[in-house]
Amino acid sequence: MALLFLLAAARPALPATLVVSVQTADGRALPGAVVTVRPLDGSGRHAAPLRAVMDQVNRSFSPDLLVIPVGSTVEFPNSDSVSHQIYSFSPPKRFQLPLYRGKPYPPVHFDQPGVVTLGCNIHDEMLAYLLVTDAPWYGRTNEGGSWSTEVPHGRYRVELWHPRIRDDEADLRRELTVGDADRAELTLRLSRPPQPAPLTNRPHSWDY
Amino acid sequence: MARCLNRVALLLLLLTLSGVSFATDWELSLDTRLVSSDAYPSFMDGGLGTVRFGSDDSGVRLGRARFAVTQPIGELWSAHLDASVFDDKDRSALGVTEAYLLFRPYPFQGYRFRLKAGGFYPPVSLENRASGWESPYTLSYSAINSWLAVEVRTIGLEGQLDWLGTRTGHAFDVGVTGGVFGWNDRAGVMIADNGFVITDRQTPLFGRLGQPGVPPLNGAEPFMEIDHRAGAYLGLEARYLDRAVLRVLRYDNRADPTQLDSVSHVLAWETRFTSAGLRIEADHGWTAIVQWLDGDTTIAPQSLTLNWPFRSEFALLAKRFGRSTVSARYDRFTVQTNAPEAYGSQDGHAWTAAYVFDADTHWRFTLECVRVSSTSANREDQGGPLAATETLWQLAIRYALGSGR
Repeated sequence: MALLFLLAAARPALPATLVVSVQTADGRALPGAVVTVRPLDGSGRHAAPLRAVMDQVNRSFSPDLLVIPVGSTVEFPNSDSVSHQIYSFSPPKRFQLPLYRGKPYPPVHFDQPGVVTLGCNIHDEMLAYLLVTDAPWYGRTNEGGSWSTEVPHGRYRVELWHPRIRDDEADLRRELTVGDADRAELTLRLSRPPQPAPLTNRPHSWDY
Repeated sequence: MARCLNRVALLLLLLTLSGVSFATDWELSLDTRLVSSDAYPSFMDGGLGTVRFGSDDSGVRLGRARFAVTQPIGELWSAHLDASVFDDKDRSALGVTEAYLLFRPYPFQGYRFRLKAGGFYPPVSLENRASGWESPYTLSYSAINSWLAVEVRTIGLEGQLDWLGTRTGHAFDVGVTGGVFGWNDRAGVMIADNGFVITDRQTPLFGRLGQPGVPPLNGAEPFMEIDHRAGAYLGLEARYLDRAVLRVLRYDNRADPTQLDSVSHVLAWETRFTSAGLRIEADHGWTAIVQWLDGDTTIAPQSLTLNWPFRSEFALLAKRFGRSTVSARYDRFTVQTNAPEAYGSQDGHAWTAAYVFDADTHWRFTLECVRVSSTSANREDQGGPLAATETLWQLAIRYALGSGR
């Protein structure tokens, strides 16, 4: 995994821009990867909880991945005309939403960090992820494979997650110092090719 | 049993029509065909044609009129009913192809259990993945899956345990399936008396094959319990993400081939087979399926033991372009025997090409050509040629309605 760390002109009084870029093993940009940034100075900062929505449209979760701070709530409306039965057996949050259409249930509260895998007990092909994070800064890489945020100067741990990435967890973690410059850049290059993306446009009447 | 099933079907239909639950899912479809065929009459007409429509059927025909409903019963149970009219050649035009209760508890720590009870297909086909056990690729099923459609069904219980690796950070799911069943002691009669066919006519539960008094099938009923011994199957399935499925199954109806039905005096057919299949889906709409099935069927009237080993395999390649799907399939099939005059022996292959156009969620148009070349001792016995090539063209127009469309 390659690591680039560049310092530019110094503007110490203001926060710096941290830019994280993610590339696959063959050098292509990886969009949609989740980047979390935690300070190493023990400041205990957290992002404010959110009220998010994970919809169900055309027998798919929409979006297929949500990143939320610890303490957030997520609503799971079913916009399809068929019923869904949503579950998670992931350790950070085990829950079930009995067979429903529309919006009959209150939002679900997520109070533990970790990856929550969502499924539908009726439609096996439905799969989505919630990443519940205690990091104060987080986001997903854009089509160009990069994500940026404003952080105060200091030392940070940057972590990467994506459901299709197969690299070891330890290889997806970096520590860096955002020094006096107003911009810091980090490029993470994966060592293994990611799993293929889910197939799209499969007719919904296929049951077997 | 048939009467009981019909009552369940009627009850489900009434529940649905009365709109008893907001969660009821239903489908209704009508599939009509424009047919051009040079084939011999089909097995339902007392012939030995290898496709669904013989030359006498050329013109406008009903493909299938279908009604299906899924009714949740409480949180973890559901009832499923699939009823169809294919033609008026069975005792009743309307028949139930599948009817079962499904117990579907929530997955627990990465494992999931499912239990089915009723009448349904064993998990063999990788082709018949659309609702109504239809193929989304072609109108006519492969020889293997046509045979299942004609005379194989689980009337009993099936349990399935899956390890959901894809829900726990892995790329694979693995599952094991076991079934116990009755009322399939006559599976095999089609293989010996008629041979493999390429069709999409699904025999309804407790339906019949051919016409009474018209040999060779004489209205045989595949779904009979004769020896009061349960049949069983055991299958394994592995999945790689949503891209590949591998299925293996060993089936044995455990019929006692010496037993006669006390009322109709027909024999039980002991039928066993092993099947394996692989389906791979790739980017850009490509799908490839291969399936193989190898088995035998036996009857032992008095001091004779007559045996028909059979085998079939096919390869299918399909590509989706937007709303269109183009598919080609090659089937091979063979039936051997130790019976006098090679009764029931058959050997052949078939090419099927189809173009499917899904105009919208309601309308589907399909153009298909099936060409079967085969040798058949039974056909020669009936005064026909030993070797024959039959061609069937079909243009299907299907309109479908449903809660999910």
